[in-house]
Amino acid sequence: MSAPVAVLAAGVATPLGLDLESFWSALVTGVDGTTGIERFAVADLRVGRGGEIKKIAPLRGGSAPRCRASALLLKAADDLLGRAALTADPARIAVVVGTALGGVEELERALADAPGPRAAAAGLYDSPAHALARRLGARGPVLTVSTACASGATALGIGADLLDEDAADLVVAGGYDILCRFVMRGFDALRSLTRDRVRPFDRRRSGLLLGEAAGLVLLARERDARGRLGRLLGHATSSDGSHIAAPDPDGRGLEHALRAAMAAADVAADDVDLVSAHGTGTILNDRIETEVLKRVLGPRAYRVPVNSIKGALGHTMGAAATLEAIMCLLAARDGVVPSTLGYEEPDPACDLDYVPREARHVRPRVAVSTSLGFGGCNAALVLEGGG
Amino acid sequence: MTRLCAVGLVSGWGAGVAALPADAPAAADGRRVIPVPRPALDGERFRRATRECLLGVAAVEAMLAEGELTRDAIRGADTALLYVTAAAYGASNRLFIGAGGGSPARTEGGLAETRRGSASATSGSALAEESRGGRAGTLHFPYTAPSAVPAEVAIEYGLTGGYVILVGGARATIDAIWQAARLLAARRCRRALVLTVETFAECEDLWARGRWAARGPLVEAAACALLEGDGHVGYEPADGPAPLERLAGRRAGQVLACAPLVAAALAREAGQTEARLTGEWRGRRAAVTLALPAAGTPALV
Repeated sequence: MSAPVAVLAAGVATPLGLDLESFWSALVTGVDGTTGIERFAVADLRVGRGGEIKKIAPLRGGSAPRCRASALLLKAADDLLGRAALTADPARIAVVVGTALGGVEELERALADAPGPRAAAAGLYDSPAHALARRLGARGPVLTVSTACASGATALGIGADLLDEDAADLVVAGGYDILCRFVMRGFDALRSLTRDRVRPFDRRRSGLLLGEAAGLVLLARERDARGRLGRLLGHATSSDGSHIAAPDPDGRGLEHALRAAMAAADVAADDVDLVSAHGTGTILNDRIETEVLKRVLGPRAYRVPVNSIKGALGHTMGAAATLEAIMCLLAARDGVVPSTLGYEEPDPACDLDYVPREARHVRPRVAVSTSLGFGGCNAALVLEGGG
Repeated sequence: MTRLCAVGLVSGWGAGVAALPADAPAAADGRRVIPVPRPALDGERFRRATRECLLGVAAVEAMLAEGELTRDAIRGADTALLYVTAAAYGASNRLFIGAGGGSPARTEGGLAETRRGSASATSGSALAEESRGGRAGTLHFPYTAPSAVPAEVAIEYGLTGGYVILVGGARATIDAIWQAARLLAARRCRRALVLTVETFAECEDLWARGRWAARGPLVEAAACALLEGDGHVGYEPADGPAPLERLAGRRAGQVLACAPLVAAALAREAGQTEARLTGEWRGRRAAVTLALPAAGTPALV
């Protein structure tokens, strides 16, 4: 849909590290970022583990906002700005961020004990995006995407569209979400969380763990790019139209999105070198994704590494797809694909190459990344590494 | 140019633009929120659906009726769905928070007490109470996501095309119309639905803390527009409100994300052949322009 855009740089705040290289190093070396949750009470929940960031280091030139979601976004922005400058007219700098939860913890706080208009407004899901825009001095479009756990991919796609439309010259795009009681209680009640570790595509997989993170990339038109981490070649979204909380059992929506993204990128199955799967570690998701990849990629599906980084981070919801896109670009940069942490015993229903045990030294050029979310949201990205 | 082929509206004032008063603040007569009752939709599938989900379905029904279209006309992967709201997730979020003081088992049986009194104590609305009853259990959690509304719509009408959900006010709806236009231009779809829903009653006390409530009545609404065409909409920043934005505000009140579609409906009713729509949110405003075929002109669908 858009012409390819350059990914100039990336910044992150994750349980594996509060900067890009710490995050990447931990992914490659197989660090498990999930721990017992300490920030809020979990004793009444079935599962009290997740990818929690224990301490958010001070922001450059300012204190962290009280809103944790905004603080994570600003921390990732700090990291991003340490790697690339926003050299454009502020009116031509856009912000597009995805989130599943927005500022819901602030809503909880406003309902409990915080009077005043600011406390109430902070509960709106688009408040953190505007906090980010203020910090960046960005006066162009500010969009908040909420396609649930596919938000971080949809946001990158819309960011590319803004550039293609000439509605901006630079776009800071990505996703975020925090761990809080609201979401832990929800997933716990749905019995979606595992008491085991997260085991994407493993025969013994029994559910997901949640995580919190923010991931941002700086996008520019290719002709304006001087040095880059890689390119976003294509993107697409789709709706399942089948269930409020479960993916379509045949993965038709995901297949539609993946095919559309590859068509937009003019990429064929044989061009694909890496699949960054949604890979939540739930019984249904991993089987469906495997089947979709086999239908779309054909025999190539068996020959490309398919990894999931959710075993290391937990499911970071709105941030997940952005972090996975960043992982694809770093894999191309360094010639190494992180393993699927937690994957040990093959499942006959999941019979692809899931990069077991340790990182693999290959240099993928073209990667596809798939995402699914509540409400039948699907998104797919096609990325190319290299400068 | 991108054409507005049909538009449906339900609001606290009633069905369609004909129900809108000439002067919403005067008609509100001091009321801060003008609510919409929970639409009466039958069926087991809607048993757990929230009021905002049903409003989304009602808006699509209104659009189909206005455009004299059948459900089959929009079913399938050739229809993109773009949903926008600034606030319609507030009710379900509050309900879930209100039910959440204790263990997961405690949430099973419906609305539990909050730590600081009953969840309805501050809402001040019988409507809010009605819309909450019995929906705070385990399976309510997925309905806290903004994606719940378009999901119910997509399920109801079999929509499996492109899918974008934006959170924000009127500016976000302009952004969504632009995204719809891009999908049309790229032939990712043959038609696009832009759906907006806003509800306020359940969080009336929170809204009262902010500046929004002081600017006129918050009017609950749901609107749906069917777009077709080549995908050109002239998306651009705007310095000030277009006349239609002012008119929609005067006639409808504060409908946030629904405002541009109210404006489009007013333009269509007035027989305009083109509508320049603007929308503002948090100090940012943008504009698009849509062609308005005469009502009754068959859509390509």
